[in-house]
Amino acid sequence: MLLSILPQVLVDGLTLGFMYAVVALGYTMVYGILEFINFAHGEIFMVGAFVGTEVLLISDSLGVLQGMNPFVALFLTLIIAMIFTGALGVLIERVAYRPLRSAPRLVPLISAIGVSFLLQDLVRFTEALARNEFYLNSPTLFSGAIPLGGNVSISIKGIIVIVLAIILMFALNMFVNKTKWGIAMRAVAQDQSTASLMSINVDKVIMLTFLIGSSLGGATGVLFAQNYGTIDPYIGFILGMKAFTAAVLGGIGNIRGAMIGGVLLGLLEALAGAYMGPLTDGAFGAEYKDVFAFAILILVLLFKPEGLFGEAVKEKV
Amino acid sequence: MAKRFGKFNGVPLLFTLVWIVLFALALYFFDQSVIAFMGMLVSLILLYYTRGSKKLKILLGVLVLLVIIPLVAGGNRYYMEVATQVGIYVAMALGLNIVVGFAGLLDMGYVAFFAAGAYAYAIFATAQANEFIPGGLFPLSGEWFWPFLIVGLVVAAIFGILLGLPVLRVKGDYLAMVTLGFGEIIRIIFNNLDKPINITNGPQGLTPIASPELFGVRLDTPFYFYFIVLVVIAFIILANIRFEHSRLGRAWIAVREDELAAQSMGISLLHTKLAAFATGASFAGIVGVIFAAKQSFIDPTSFTMMESIGILIMVILGGSGSIPGVILGASVVTILQVQLLKEFSNFLHTLQQSGLLNLPNQLDPSKFQRLIFGLLLILVALYRPNGLIPAKRKKNDLEAIKQSKHASESLGILSKLSRNKPS
Amino acid sequence: MALLEANGLTKKFGGLVANENVTIKIEKGTIAAVIGPNGAGKTTFFNMITGFYEPDEGEILLNGKSIKGLRPDQIAERGITRTFQNIRLFKEMTALENVMVGVHSRLKAGLLGILFNLKRVQEEEEKARVEAYKLLEYVGIEQIANEAAGSLPYGLQRRLEIARALATNPEIILLDEPAAGMNPRETVEMTEFIKRLKSELNLTIILIEHDMKLVMGLSEYIHVLDYGRKIAEGTPDEIRTNKQVIEAYLGKSASEVS
Repeated sequence: MLLSILPQVLVDGLTLGFMYAVVALGYTMVYGILEFINFAHGEIFMVGAFVGTEVLLISDSLGVLQGMNPFVALFLTLIIAMIFTGALGVLIERVAYRPLRSAPRLVPLISAIGVSFLLQDLVRFTEALARNEFYLNSPTLFSGAIPLGGNVSISIKGIIVIVLAIILMFALNMFVNKTKWGIAMRAVAQDQSTASLMSINVDKVIMLTFLIGSSLGGATGVLFAQNYGTIDPYIGFILGMKAFTAAVLGGIGNIRGAMIGGVLLGLLEALAGAYMGPLTDGAFGAEYKDVFAFAILILVLLFKPEGLFGEAVKEKV
Repeated sequence: MAKRFGKFNGVPLLFTLVWIVLFALALYFFDQSVIAFMGMLVSLILLYYTRGSKKLKILLGVLVLLVIIPLVAGGNRYYMEVATQVGIYVAMALGLNIVVGFAGLLDMGYVAFFAAGAYAYAIFATAQANEFIPGGLFPLSGEWFWPFLIVGLVVAAIFGILLGLPVLRVKGDYLAMVTLGFGEIIRIIFNNLDKPINITNGPQGLTPIASPELFGVRLDTPFYFYFIVLVVIAFIILANIRFEHSRLGRAWIAVREDELAAQSMGISLLHTKLAAFATGASFAGIVGVIFAAKQSFIDPTSFTMMESIGILIMVILGGSGSIPGVILGASVVTILQVQLLKEFSNFLHTLQQSGLLNLPNQLDPSKFQRLIFGLLLILVALYRPNGLIPAKRKKNDLEAIKQSKHASESLGILSKLSRNKPS
Repeated sequence: MALLEANGLTKKFGGLVANENVTIKIEKGTIAAVIGPNGAGKTTFFNMITGFYEPDEGEILLNGKSIKGLRPDQIAERGITRTFQNIRLFKEMTALENVMVGVHSRLKAGLLGILFNLKRVQEEEEKARVEAYKLLEYVGIEQIANEAAGSLPYGLQRRLEIARALATNPEIILLDEPAAGMNPRETVEMTEFIKRLKSELNLTIILIEHDMKLVMGLSEYIHVLDYGRKIAEGTPDEIRTNKQVIEAYLGKSASEVS
C-alpha cells in the first residue's frame, strides 16, 4: 500500500520541486548580483498566480475560453502574467531597493519585507473589491490522469507543470550563457566595479535581473494555480521561504544549484509528507512537512552555508 | 534633536504641565473621548522633550502613569486594556531591542520566546499539566503567577540559548531567515504537540488560565494588569539602560559595528551574542507569562510570524538601539493597531449606516494591518533608517574622569610607563 | 627563545597559495617589519598570527606555547593585538568608548552584576573610563574623547585605533600599514610615535608597511615576503642590498642593470 502511492508521490514531489526551482531562480539571481535576499519574491509569485487566474476567469466569463486550445490559453496566460510580474519586479527594484543600494545590508531587507506585506494586502483588497472574496478558484485547463495500472495514476497537469518548468529553466540557462546580456549579468555578479569599468551598465543589468527573475516567479504562480486550483494572497510566503531554502540548498548565487535544490526539496517534502505519518505510527505526520523544509534550511545554513554546489567564501579582513 | 530644530531646545515645563492637567480633566469628564486619551499618552512624549531636570521629568512621568491615568481612566476597562497592551508591546520591543538594536542580530522569530513564557505558565496554570504529570496537582492557583514570572524568564532564556547556539553561526540576512524558520518551527510544534503526548493541547489552546492572586485578591481586570505591566516595564527599562552603558552593552555594540575588530579586542562573539539572545528572550518570557494570565486563553495563533514582524517594526520605526525610540515605536504601532484603526473603522461604519458611504466589508480598515506595516517598513527604510528617535551614545563627563580617585593610579599598559620613564 | 615564533606557516585559499612555509621569529622588545609587494601575503600572515585564519600547516608559538587554533579573542587575551589596514573602529561609539571596548577582557562584570549595578561593577567601570581617557591622552587625542569615532578625521582615527589596541594591554602589537594615506609630516610623527611605543611601553611591534622610508628608519629587523614565500630577512642594511628583494620589488631586469 505504501509502495503503490509512490509514483503519484514522486510526481507530486517533482511538480512541487520544479515550482520551487523556478522561484528559487529569482532569489538566486538577485542574490548573486546584489547579495540581498529579495524577501518580496514570494509575493511576486503570488501576484503571478492571481494575474493568471484573473485572465482565465475574465476570458471564461467573456466566453473566449470555450473552444480555445488549452495549450494556447495557457501560453497566453503565462505571457500576460510574466509581463505583469516582470514589470512589477522592475518597479519594486526602482522604488524600494535601488535607493538603498549603499545602505547597510539589513536596510534593504527591511524594505523588502515591507514590499512583501504591501503586496499581500493590495492583492487582497483588489480581489475583495472586484470579487468580494480573496480566495480564488482557478479554471482548470487540463484534467485527467494517466493510469499506470492498478489504482496507480499520475495527473496530466502535474506533467504539464514539470515540462513547462523545464522549458523555462532551459531558456534561462541559454540566455545567461549564450547572450550578450546574460554574459553581462554574470560579469556583474562576479565583480560589479570591474564590470562597470568594462562599460557594462550595472543599473540596467540589475533591472534585467529583476525583470527575468520576477517574470519567472509570475509564471510559476500561473502553474501553481493550475496545479492546485485554489489560491489566496498568502501563498507566497511559505512557497517563497521554501524556494529560498532550495536556492540555499543548491548554493545561493548558483543557477543550476537552484534548479537541483528545488527539485530535491520538492521530492524530500513529498516523500516526508506521504511517509512520515505511517512510518512513525501517526506520531509525526504531514503536519510537520513545513518544519521539515525549515529544518533543511537551518541545517544547510549551519553546516554547509555554501550549499551543495556553491563555493565557500571567506570574509575579507 | 536640538540641532535639527535650530533654536528648539525643549518644550517649556509650564506648557507640559498645563497639557497634562487639561487632558487629565478632559479624560475625566469625557471618558469616551479617544482624543483625550491620546492626549494623555502624548503628554509622556511631550515630557521627554520638556526642558528641566531629568529627575523632575521622571517624577512627573511616574505621576502620570501611576496616579493620573489610573485615576481618570481607571474606570474605563477599554482604556486600561489598551494601555496594558501598549505596555506589553513596549516591554517586548525593549527586549528585542537588545538583540536587534544593540547586538545587531536581526531576529525575525522573536515571538517564539514570548510563546515559551506564555506556555510555561499556561500549561501549569490550567489542568493541562495533569495530562503528563500524574497526581492531579494542577491547575496551580493564581499565587503561582509571581514565581512563574521568573520561571517564564528562565524558560525563555534557555530557549534563547538553545536556539542561539546553532543560529548564531550564520550572519546578517541569513540569520534573519534562520530565525524566521525557527520561529515558525516552534509555532508548528506547539500547534501539534497534542500527540503523541498531549503537552500543549494543540490548536485547541489552553484555558482557563489562572488569574494572578495577591493576598487572596484575584487580579483579573485590566486595571490590575496595567500596574503589573508597569512594574515589569520599569524593570526592563532599568535593565536596558544599565546594559547599554556597561561592559556587555559596549561588547554588543562593538559586535554590531564590526565583528572582526570586536574579536581582536578580546570579545568572544559567541558569549556576547548568546548573552544578547538570552537577555532579549528572557524579557519576552516574562511578558509571555503576563499575556497568558491576562488573556486567560492562549493558542498557537497568538504567536505567528506577524507578531514577530510587528515587534521588529516597533523597534525599527522607533529607532533601533534607542531606548526612548523603541518605547515610542511600540506605543505608536500598538495604538495604531488596537485603537486608531478600530476607531476609524467604527467611524466608517457609522457613515455607512447613515447611508453616506458604501463600503464593502473586506475594506474594513481594521484589516489594514499588513498594508500599514508594509508601508511603514518601506518608508522607514527609505527615509528614516535610524528611526524616529535615533540612538545616540551618551557623552561621558570628562571632568568627572579627571577628578576620579583613580586618576592618579597607573592602569593597564600605562603602568609600564612610570617604570620606564624615571621622573 | 623568541617571543613569537611562526614556524612553516602555510595557508591556501582554494588553489591560491597565500602563505607557503613562512617561518618568522620575533624577539621581545624589537620592532620588526614584514614587507613585500602587493599580494605577497603580508596581511594573510597577520591574520594567521591573530587567529582570523587558521594555518593549513605550521605552528605558532607565543612564549613557547602554541596559540594555533585559538580564536582571535583568545589570542587577544594572551597579549597579541592589532590594527587594521582599512581602520576598523566602532563608528557609532565615542572615541572613549572605543578604547573602553579594548579594556573589555580585563573587566569582570557579569549580567547580574550589571543589572543590580553592584558597587564593584561601578568601581570597575570608573577605572576603565579613567584608563581609556589616559590612553587617549597618551596618543594625544583626549580632546575628542566624546566624539563619535566615525566622524573623526583620518589621522585621528589611526591614533584612536592604536589607543584601542593598547587598551587590551598587549605584549605584541601588529600594525597593518599604520602610515597608509598619511602625508610626509604625519608619517614622521607616526614613526616617532611607534618608537615611543617600544621604548616607553616595552612593546614588541610588528608592522606591515609600504613606505620604505618609514620601514628602514624604524625597524630593527625586516622579513620580506614575495608570492607567499619568505625570500629574505635581515637588518635594514642587509635588506637594502639584497638582490632577491630588489628583484621582487623592481623585477628581474632592474637588479641586473644595477
